[in-house]
Amino acid sequence: MDEFLASAGFTDGFPENTTTLIYGPPKVGKSIFCYQFAYHGMSINEPCLYVTADEGMKQLQQNMIDFGWFLQSFMDEELLYIIDSISSLSGVPIENTSTYTLSKINDPTDLMVKIGLGTRFVFKKSNEFRSVFDSLTTLFAFNPEPMVIRFLKTYLRRLKEAGATVIVTYTEGVTDERTEKTLKSIVDNLIMFDGNYMTYKSNLGFIGTVEYEITDQGLVLGKGEIL
Amino acid sequence: MIVRIASGITGFDSLTTAGDDLGLGLGGIPENTVTLIYGPPEVGKSNFCHGFAYYGLTQDEPCLYLTTDMGINEISQNFKDMELVLDEYLENKMLYVVDAVSNDDESAPYDWHQSVSVRNPTDILVKVTSGARSISQKNPRLRGVIDSLTTILESNNEMLIVRVLKTYILRLKEAGATAVITYTEGSSDPRTEILIKSMVDNIIRLNGKKITIEAMKGIGRKEAHYQITERGIVIDGNDD
Repeated sequence: MDEFLASAGFTDGFPENTTTLIYGPPKVGKSIFCYQFAYHGMSINEPCLYVTADEGMKQLQQNMIDFGWFLQSFMDEELLYIIDSISSLSGVPIENTSTYTLSKINDPTDLMVKIGLGTRFVFKKSNEFRSVFDSLTTLFAFNPEPMVIRFLKTYLRRLKEAGATVIVTYTEGVTDERTEKTLKSIVDNLIMFDGNYMTYKSNLGFIGTVEYEITDQGLVLGKGEIL
Repeated sequence: MIVRIASGITGFDSLTTAGDDLGLGLGGIPENTVTLIYGPPEVGKSNFCHGFAYYGLTQDEPCLYLTTDMGINEISQNFKDMELVLDEYLENKMLYVVDAVSNDDESAPYDWHQSVSVRNPTDILVKVTSGARSISQKNPRLRGVIDSLTTILESNNEMLIVRVLKTYILRLKEAGATAVITYTEGSSDPRTEILIKSMVDNIIRLNGKKITIEAMKGIGRKEAHYQITERGIVIDGNDD
């Protein structure tokens, strides 16, 4: 992803130790961006704390296999720590492992505790790591909006302090306008996906836009432009 | 490569054949995903479900069918009109119907037919879950149908239904199912509509003339004309 951003004339890659909100309508590639971001990081030995709220572990693995990205070896190397906040709804018993923890989507307190544990685990591996939260949309479906905002503020602050580069996804239009504004204001950078273009906006006033396509190798960026 | 299962809709599988298919003709609906079929009323959303469910049955894939607009007898009659007979599948437990329309006393006397109230989403979820479990014990794959989500949304708190739907999707996927869900566009709050779209894997819109594949794993946007005939939906050649 970083090379893509750089080669497309964005910045010198993805800004380290910042928080970024990825947003846009459903089915435009936000989750794929997360897969790619996490996978690329792990392939250059940067660990990842991955909070999955939309898909359970099994589906997440399957989705990534569709692109030819296999997680098992990263899990064996303990580069990947997954917090699965949704599988408990499936009613199927699943066991925690040293790098896989279950939480509950309707219990932000429990989720925050698990995130704390996960952060410590990943932080011990490297103080440069990535963190993905995919997606806030499900969190909003199961919790009151102000609670999600409070949760997110704590999450972003803690992860940033720990040295993480954080991305969080959100489906535009599922909450109150004011909530959406707040969401956009508490992160450092915004990336808007619209199905054809992604527009990047950093807190330093940098704005760029780039064409993209979803292929069987993930997102491929086309021509970019700095605005 | 993404595994796809035959949809049972004439013309659909060739429309959804991926570019790298090498002429194998392996189009269809991506296996173990959930597809939203939406659009205005009376454009063939239920017909799509019927075709999808029936084709699965003929391929020995059982089906868990949640119906809220047509009772089991009406569905059976619809199939008979298409010269398809459901009785055998109901008798040999291939078709499991969760019926939110028929009352207990008027429903057909099949074991695998459960009556529920559309106003009781928890009960629906319990029955759907137990249905999915009993089917998946014997079969690695199955098909799931909800026709339609609109009726359930109309009778309940929308956010509650969004959460129930999320749970349904997780459980069905866990059971190995490939599911389709119908929804009448504009029938709920715009936010709810976006939430529903965000929870499914594939999105198909029918408008009475054209079928638009707005999103589907592994392929881009596709569009084609279709007709509703006595034998179900028939999609014309690819317009693109």
